[in-house]
Amino acid sequence: MGYPHTPHEKETVVLSKYFGDAEARSYDGWVQRGGYEALKKALGMSPAEVIDLVKESGLRGRGGAGFPTGFKWSFMPKEKSKPHYLCCNADESEPGTFKDREIMRWTPHALIEGCAIAQHAIQAEVTYIYIRGEFTEPLRIMQAALDDAYKAGVLGANAMGSGKQLDMYIHRGAGAYICGEETALMNSIEGRRGNPRIRPPFPAQKGVFGMPTTVNNVETLTAVPHILVQGTDWHKGLSLSNPKSAGTKLFSVCGNVARPGNYEVTMGFPLRDVIYEMAGLPEGRTLKAVQPGGSSVPIINREEAEACLLDYEGCVEQHTMLGSGGMIVYDDTADMVYQIMRLARFYAHESCAQCTQCREGTAWTVRILERILRGEGKMKDLDLLLDLGEQMTGKTICVLSDSCAAPVASGIERFRGEFEAYITGAREPSLAPA
Amino acid sequence: MAESTDLVTLTIDGVEVSVPKGTTIIEAAKQVGVVIPHYCYHPGLPVAGVCRMCLVHVEGTPKLQIACATPVAHGQVVEPYREDAVNARKGVLEFLLINHPLDCPICDQAGECELQDYVFHEGQARTRYTPDYAKRFNPVEDFGGDVLYVPNRCILCTRCVRFMEHVADDPILNVSERGDRAFIGVHADRNLDHPWSGNVIDLCPVGSLISKDFLHKARAWELDKAPSICTGCSQGCNVVLETRQGTVVRKRPRSNLDVNQFFLCDHGRLAYRWMNRGDRIEAPLVRHDGELIATDWDHALHDVAGLLGGSGGEVVVLASPGASNEALFLAREVAGDGFRGVFRVERVGDDVPLDGVPNLALRAERAPNVKGAETLGYGERGDLGADLSAASVVLVLGDALDGLDPTALDRVPHVVFIGTVLPEVGRVASAVLPTTNVAEEDGSFVNRDGRVQLYLQAKSGPGMARPAWWALGELLRELGRGDSPMSAADVFASMASTVEAFGGLSYRTLGTRGAPLGSGSTAAATA
Amino acid sequence: MMKETGTYEPVFTDDRRAKLDEIIARYPTKRAALLPALWLVQETHGWVSDEAMIEVAQTLFLTAAYVKGVVTFYTMYHQHPVGRHFIQVCTTSPCSLCGAERVMEALLEHTGCGDLGATSPDGRFTVVEVECLGACGFVTPVLIDDDFIEGVTVEQVPELLGRYE
Repeated sequence: MGYPHTPHEKETVVLSKYFGDAEARSYDGWVQRGGYEALKKALGMSPAEVIDLVKESGLRGRGGAGFPTGFKWSFMPKEKSKPHYLCCNADESEPGTFKDREIMRWTPHALIEGCAIAQHAIQAEVTYIYIRGEFTEPLRIMQAALDDAYKAGVLGANAMGSGKQLDMYIHRGAGAYICGEETALMNSIEGRRGNPRIRPPFPAQKGVFGMPTTVNNVETLTAVPHILVQGTDWHKGLSLSNPKSAGTKLFSVCGNVARPGNYEVTMGFPLRDVIYEMAGLPEGRTLKAVQPGGSSVPIINREEAEACLLDYEGCVEQHTMLGSGGMIVYDDTADMVYQIMRLARFYAHESCAQCTQCREGTAWTVRILERILRGEGKMKDLDLLLDLGEQMTGKTICVLSDSCAAPVASGIERFRGEFEAYITGAREPSLAPA
Repeated sequence: MAESTDLVTLTIDGVEVSVPKGTTIIEAAKQVGVVIPHYCYHPGLPVAGVCRMCLVHVEGTPKLQIACATPVAHGQVVEPYREDAVNARKGVLEFLLINHPLDCPICDQAGECELQDYVFHEGQARTRYTPDYAKRFNPVEDFGGDVLYVPNRCILCTRCVRFMEHVADDPILNVSERGDRAFIGVHADRNLDHPWSGNVIDLCPVGSLISKDFLHKARAWELDKAPSICTGCSQGCNVVLETRQGTVVRKRPRSNLDVNQFFLCDHGRLAYRWMNRGDRIEAPLVRHDGELIATDWDHALHDVAGLLGGSGGEVVVLASPGASNEALFLAREVAGDGFRGVFRVERVGDDVPLDGVPNLALRAERAPNVKGAETLGYGERGDLGADLSAASVVLVLGDALDGLDPTALDRVPHVVFIGTVLPEVGRVASAVLPTTNVAEEDGSFVNRDGRVQLYLQAKSGPGMARPAWWALGELLRELGRGDSPMSAADVFASMASTVEAFGGLSYRTLGTRGAPLGSGSTAAATA
Repeated sequence: MMKETGTYEPVFTDDRRAKLDEIIARYPTKRAALLPALWLVQETHGWVSDEAMIEVAQTLFLTAAYVKGVVTFYTMYHQHPVGRHFIQVCTTSPCSLCGAERVMEALLEHTGCGDLGATSPDGRFTVVEVECLGACGFVTPVLIDDDFIEGVTVEQVPELLGRYE
């Protein structure tokens, strides 16, 4: 479903099937729609069998990195000597992305079911669902669903009558983009500043509270029950281009579009169809640029966008990344210089302050871009921005700094003329959006 | 250090080196004489990996690696000076300087600042952060204790925060705010009042955390430095005494992994002013017509030898447990067969530990050489009455009279005072021999764990003051019982040949790290 | 040093203490209850004062400085008192592309706050700009207290504010 619209005929609705259906929110409603069958099935399997199944399905992380989910699970110790934890990353904060929000708002039990299956697979007693603090409505809905799941015996000391202990708690964030980074998220659960940790150790060895931990995104976990019920062949079959990318993916289409919303398509779906047919450009506008995977991925131009297939490999081929699937669309009225400055300001605001390049580099980048917008920039500022971008890429603990550099560098490469217009005075200085 | 003794062989900057498995690249590099530039890394703190200064190229890895957190591996080839690594560090330095006030002319850290040093080595000559951009500004803050925080110079390496959290186990410093607004913060409820908090000043690689005590007192390059031992308690922390024109102006920890690692408590750190006091005895004094009058060493030594030679009775040495082993040993020799040695020691409250370091505390026992005195046959006395009343001569060595009842020495026939400052009680002395203090001589102490450690002279003594071992050695010669020793090391050598516990040890073997009592014996050496 | 105000009302008594104990039981360490404890403080007092940080620190066996380091990391904890209604408006790129700055300006104007972060003279509102509310398809999203309102337009602002006394 192209929530909040009726679904487009080219969508493949799996995760978004019940978006907008308020009855799907309740425990009974969810069971009536086939809910918790997958969990029942999973609890009848050994953890290793569940992991193998997910490995076989080709499911990859939907939070941004695209790491194969089954493999991630398989890194957890097989022989349990200490507590294991599952953390569900519901800190959806990547500008342009709003899919996890809708999953939690409309199908909270789908997420609980996915968490419970993963928990069983990695032999974790406890799941912490880390929901960003601003998501007041998803927080309420998820808490109500958790309460119902406990009441119904899905969770608790004897989950679904399996004799297994499955506990699940919500941990509310408090305003920090970086907590969507898995090690920062673990620190935040532990009651610390949300600073990313250096790796190794990896979470599967030493995660939250120093124990073996797996962190999975909401959309990833929600996809798992479907794989259990419909099988790996079904999931692998959901692939229009590269077989390494399988399943459906929610794209949160926003920015300059006529019908913003979440569109669920099969991996490998053409980006151009999402923009031109599903979301549609505003009347009379033309496409200028797209960030298909959230604000952190390189900006691509119209030609690249029109050639782009929406899977992990297809995006890389067009010099960008699939990321979180937060698709920011810029039309011909967009002021790329202002918008890139606005993105840089976001990263400067959110930098955790640990790594030098990020702490200082993001803020410096903003100052240079603001100066250009004020009409006081110099041509050499553009090379300086690119050079700072080099210094900010691949050198820090996490990729926040890279994420600031990517749109700046890709933006200058593709829209240098817009920057130069501010610098030469061909364009009126303005620190406000067009 | 790795639990296993397996060695890993790797190449750093073209030099092959074998180090224990589990060693980090930054530590392995030290073995081949390469100091990889770093800020947040400190061997006494948990690794943070945040400054990103120690980026090096490791063959086969696509990204540069931080040397502080990357363990060595067999066959690893590390190139700290490859162009990409140097460029990355250049970048870090440029970022660190964009908000820095560049106020080196008025900064106490200048000359011993790692920001200056690394910019000098690897930085770029010009900044691209033009004056069009304002620099971040935050006012100087008094953190309490001895610590001032100058946030504009801070590079957020978090060494101070990690020290308070993980070593002192008292997180009263934090990183506040985020991004380039971040700074080191405190909460208004508490000062930086932890008794070990002064270490954050030494740990700070730049001029951000500075000592109020040392504020604008001297330029780093004017200082002369001498290795010494803290006299604040019986722990025996290794320190450096720093002098400017013959005055001790700063006392800082010197690393010794067997004693104090890298640290020094505030009590010890700030207790150095007495070394500079001006009311010192500057000439030998002898009693003449009931008055103490100044004389030269020859006359004084002659007179004292006469007193000792003619006493015929018991010679009690009332020693300070702050006196050196050398002085304590020779005092015993001077007293001869009738020797009896006693000392008193001040005890204050309980030990004040530094939680993160095993067996490190400001000890309740506030003297550096109690163990040395005991080893040399001195006994602790709470009440000196019986000891002193039987004596024909009392040799007072060091500040042993502090707090003593003014009448305590009244009935002693002869008191010889050998020390630095003559207290009121000591004015009954028949002779006074002026000596140097710990900053003015070479010597050794034995700490509470039996570790023998050397201290070296940091400045000259006043007037005619001489080391106590010299005065006592000359007395022995006057008494016809030995030759004049040439140095503290000489005295130590004769002590080592006489007292079993010191056997086999020498100034050369002790070096700057010291060694346990008994470790120099043949048995221990072959063990 | 801390001023003696004498007016601080402890948060963790009776029901709220019980609530906190229940939260603490979810984690293997007391420290992990810090973020939830700070939320309880803010729900009770409307902001997180220095005194509250001391109370939280004592309750969870932390130091006040540690708590402050955490409070200042997370932007949703108020380090100063705010208006009766706290308004967060998103102006990050996807919203900016759709004119969110104009909604922000309308909010500043109609609340009388004037400046971002300032409280209106009547103490009713505080407006802040927030970095991405995670509802980029529902421009302009505005969070008033705990009410998440989607698709706010400049025209709707006066009516919307009218709902909050």
